[in-house]
Amino acid sequence: MKQEMYAPAGTPVANARAGKSKIGYLIKDIVRDKWLYLMLLPGIFYFIIFKYIPMYGVTMAFQDYKPYLGFFESPWVGFKHFERFFSEPQFGMLFRNTVILAMYNLLFFFPLPIVLSLMMNELRHAKFKNFVQTLVYIPHFVSWVVVVGIFYILFTTENGILNEILYQITGQKIAFLLEAEWFRTMIISQSIWKEVGWGTVIFLAALAGVDLQQYEAARIDGAGRWRQLWHITLPAIRSTIIILFILRLGNFMDSGFEHIYLMLTPTNREVGDVFDTYVYTIGMTQAQYSYSAAVGIFKSVIGLILVLGANWLAKKFGEEGIY
Amino acid sequence: MRKKLALLMGSVLLATTVLSACSSGNNQNAATNSPEASQTPQAEAKPFDLSIVVNQVGEIPPKGNPIEQALAKYTNTNLEFQWIPTAAYDEKINVMIASGELPKLMKVGYIPTTISAMKEGLFWEIGPYLKDYENLSAQPQSYFDNIQVEGKIYGIPLFRDMGRAVVQYRKDWFDAAGLAVPKTLDDWYNVLKAVAEGDPDKNGEKDTYGLLLDKNYNQNAASTLTRLSVSQGGPNKWGVDDQGNFTPEFMTDEFFATMKLFKRLYDEKLINQDFSVVDSATNDKAYESGHVALRISGGNAQTMLTNLIKVVPTASLDVAPMEGPAGIRLPGESGNAGMLVVPKSSVKTEEELRQVLTFLNKLLDKEMVYLLNKGIEGTHYKVEGDFTIPLDKDKDFKEVKPYRDTLIQRGDNYNMDKPMKESDLFLKNKKMVRENENYVVKNPALVLDSAIFTERGKELEQMITDAETKFIMGKIDEAGWQAEIEKWKKAGGDQLMEEYKAAYLKDKQ
Amino acid sequence: MVQDKTIGNRIFDTVNYTLLLLIALLCVMPFIYVLAVSFTSPAEVAKGGLILWPKEWSLASYRYIFSTNTLVRSMLVSIYITVLGTLINLIFTSLMAYPLAKTHLRGRQTILLAVLFTMLFGGGMIPTYFVVKALHLTNTLWSLMIPGAISAFNLIVLKNFFQQIPDGLEDSARIDGCNEVGVLFRIVLPLSLPAMATFGLFYAVGHWNQFFNAILYINDNTKWPIQVLLREVVILASSSIGDSTIDSTEIQPLTIRMAVIVFATIPILLVYPFLQKHFAKGVMLGSVKG
Repeated sequence: MKQEMYAPAGTPVANARAGKSKIGYLIKDIVRDKWLYLMLLPGIFYFIIFKYIPMYGVTMAFQDYKPYLGFFESPWVGFKHFERFFSEPQFGMLFRNTVILAMYNLLFFFPLPIVLSLMMNELRHAKFKNFVQTLVYIPHFVSWVVVVGIFYILFTTENGILNEILYQITGQKIAFLLEAEWFRTMIISQSIWKEVGWGTVIFLAALAGVDLQQYEAARIDGAGRWRQLWHITLPAIRSTIIILFILRLGNFMDSGFEHIYLMLTPTNREVGDVFDTYVYTIGMTQAQYSYSAAVGIFKSVIGLILVLGANWLAKKFGEEGIY
Repeated sequence: MRKKLALLMGSVLLATTVLSACSSGNNQNAATNSPEASQTPQAEAKPFDLSIVVNQVGEIPPKGNPIEQALAKYTNTNLEFQWIPTAAYDEKINVMIASGELPKLMKVGYIPTTISAMKEGLFWEIGPYLKDYENLSAQPQSYFDNIQVEGKIYGIPLFRDMGRAVVQYRKDWFDAAGLAVPKTLDDWYNVLKAVAEGDPDKNGEKDTYGLLLDKNYNQNAASTLTRLSVSQGGPNKWGVDDQGNFTPEFMTDEFFATMKLFKRLYDEKLINQDFSVVDSATNDKAYESGHVALRISGGNAQTMLTNLIKVVPTASLDVAPMEGPAGIRLPGESGNAGMLVVPKSSVKTEEELRQVLTFLNKLLDKEMVYLLNKGIEGTHYKVEGDFTIPLDKDKDFKEVKPYRDTLIQRGDNYNMDKPMKESDLFLKNKKMVRENENYVVKNPALVLDSAIFTERGKELEQMITDAETKFIMGKIDEAGWQAEIEKWKKAGGDQLMEEYKAAYLKDKQ
Repeated sequence: MVQDKTIGNRIFDTVNYTLLLLIALLCVMPFIYVLAVSFTSPAEVAKGGLILWPKEWSLASYRYIFSTNTLVRSMLVSIYITVLGTLINLIFTSLMAYPLAKTHLRGRQTILLAVLFTMLFGGGMIPTYFVVKALHLTNTLWSLMIPGAISAFNLIVLKNFFQQIPDGLEDSARIDGCNEVGVLFRIVLPLSLPAMATFGLFYAVGHWNQFFNAILYINDNTKWPIQVLLREVVILASSSIGDSTIDSTEIQPLTIRMAVIVFATIPILLVYPFLQKHFAKGVMLGSVKG
């Protein structure tokens, strides 16, 4: 019964082959799924009201927006802000820094929550597992100011704890917080420390969905732990990993302003200055709303291209992707 | 079953509409017990409704607290304070401007956003009215000069001292080593070297510094580089000659000599090696734990001493003015912590404007000067002879400071016959700051208008301040420094100098 | 559970346990620092260095922060918006995610694309403020719950979770005569407890950390959640003294700052252990299928 209710009618191809009018099928499908559509309504209203109605604010990027003139009175300037942005002498440097940092994040940060949650998944003592889980998730709640403050206490050359140890061993100190070459390492390790535990939460939820019977069956077949991991666990969370990866690409150009800004010094700015910090610096003497909005749009367009591209690729490989 | 679920579903949908429909009346909720008793006892004449938006200072005082009541009663107003946390002050102001929900009086900074709003006529120009208010017009003109926009005055400054910089030093160490407060740059080098290497705390370890810099050491008005180079005869940020040609401080010999001094100190490890990342709070701890000999500070030395003697009970501090080879000389600061402005959209008539100004004028009456500076007699302070004695500093901090920091007052500089009883060090520091006002060097570009500054002022500034740090740390040499200046000129520095010159000559006429 | 006793497994376990223990300790250390500083006397803190255990205990900072009722009041506001807000989030998000998980639904891709779009482009602060104001939500706590009722990110990931649930389970309910709403609440949600716990946690933490919208939408400071206070304390402490006309108070700001952080963080930290039982491996799925 359900077979004929769902599978055939759901494929447009089947409809077309049946030769009936498309609109007829559309109406039939909508009537059939009336409950589903009803359930969608609150959400659709939500997105229209709170996301799409305010969307006119995007026009700010093409105006010289002034708060007291508003969106309708501020003068239109076309692509002026984009032109200024692209012709800035630092544009190349900012772009490079932003992209390199984002790549580092994807390479070194993104896989770690997966690894950590798989490690935790292998723990058998439920109490120990809960204990570890609770502790690794704590740093997420420590603000960047405090994180950077703690790293200062550890890494500074003036009585920094790690540098003192380093000095005892090697007789030298390393200016981790000053040297440009250490900047990205510090940023990524701070991100890892703060957010990896938090990142495991979603994978643990995905892992909780794995059917235990599969493991038992595999064990009876003589599969070891690595094979179980490879053939049961990973496939079970693959689609979650892919979805998260694709969504992460949407924020590719976001570097985490507060974090970076707190770590910037005159001697590492050449590798540390990113779009987010640049916009902030510009805005310090003049709240350049329109200019910031233009930079934001640029970042979003790149994010959109990446998301759509990655999603297209995922679908090519038979994954569900985002939509 | 189906019905039940449909009902549930329906109620969820209904909830959405109800939530949005009835919320304006929804002032109650489980968590708040708002003290709505803000109505102050009303006096004879009809009180003037006055809404005020200022930034939050410490904790937000509850509505209708005794200070607010006393303020309202004396000024005959219905006061409605709105305290906005610093974390979102600018954004909130922007939303208020965009949605036309401005109060009658609000605090803004002298920053390009506000300046452009003033030019657009968003706020009342109050300059011409000031003469009618005895207290407001009695304040030194220089404070008003520093907030003018195209020669017009749009606000009342929140007065602060203009010449705050003093040298604060460990008197016990200096006496023991027979050192004197430095005057020339060579003096500075010798003194700092002597302290850093002479083990003044006699603990056998090399753990003392002559001076600590923090990452803001060359930023804004409190820049250590500027303060030192001005004492040596340099300009305050900008120098200007008779023809109106502007020269930035970093192109002067005095400034470069100061930079070379710090480079030498850095190379010889006589100042903290991590100065470009350390924040001032961390340095404060080092000062207050007795590891540093001297600082150039805008704060009162007593604050440091109070904390210092908890760790080093034998410590003593003294203060000295910023004195160079040619006597006392120091950079003048803006003299305000923002200003109060009157938006035209909420204060529609001149009559209403006069009522707001009357309120501000009354704040400088003796009664209000005492209230804002000291609180309520018997609660926060008592009178003893020619002085007042604070009774409860915690209470003062929580209840009086929010008003003191956001409404206008000039401490004991105006309309206060009985100053607060303070320690000798505190009074010496304070007196020095007051006398400093005779020696301040003005920043000639402070109120000058420049398009390029508005567009990329901070960027240009950062270019140079970064180069200063790199020079001191030895990342670039003298040639590299000159190259950075050339870069700065090309990136807009030349234009900035030209625009300042044009604006200066225009103002002069 | 059957234990594998090979040597390889034992080595794996030992390494795994040790490594995780180390990681856990590394993660908790800074919090211990924050905790320790909050209980240390200001004079001790003034000496500087990393404090992991107070040498001189002091409750001064806690006495200070509890000396007014502001902290407790804003804590209650935070709890209120977190609990109610998260409930609203979960209902709205799962209601929308469930139909979108049905691949046969017409218009599904368009809606998902439209949702995705809002993750990348937004109208910004001021237009959103106008919407919130037009709906008369300003100055009410609803302004902290309704405008963020559905997170596009959570919606898309939850949709993905729903898609993993085998159709067979839902069909049995349909045969019992449930409509789709019934299927969602009777079958899908109970089967998705780990996901519900996860997104509940995400939303709850989001609500807990709100401060900006509160300042923006609510003028009455008695309705502000605890994070507004926390922010202000942290910012105030990080700006240097010297501007005030009076001495700073006796108490070292750092210790107070840390005490506020502790007080504002503990409640949300406690949420996770309570949710943990829902992460137990495959409980529901196994039982239903068996």
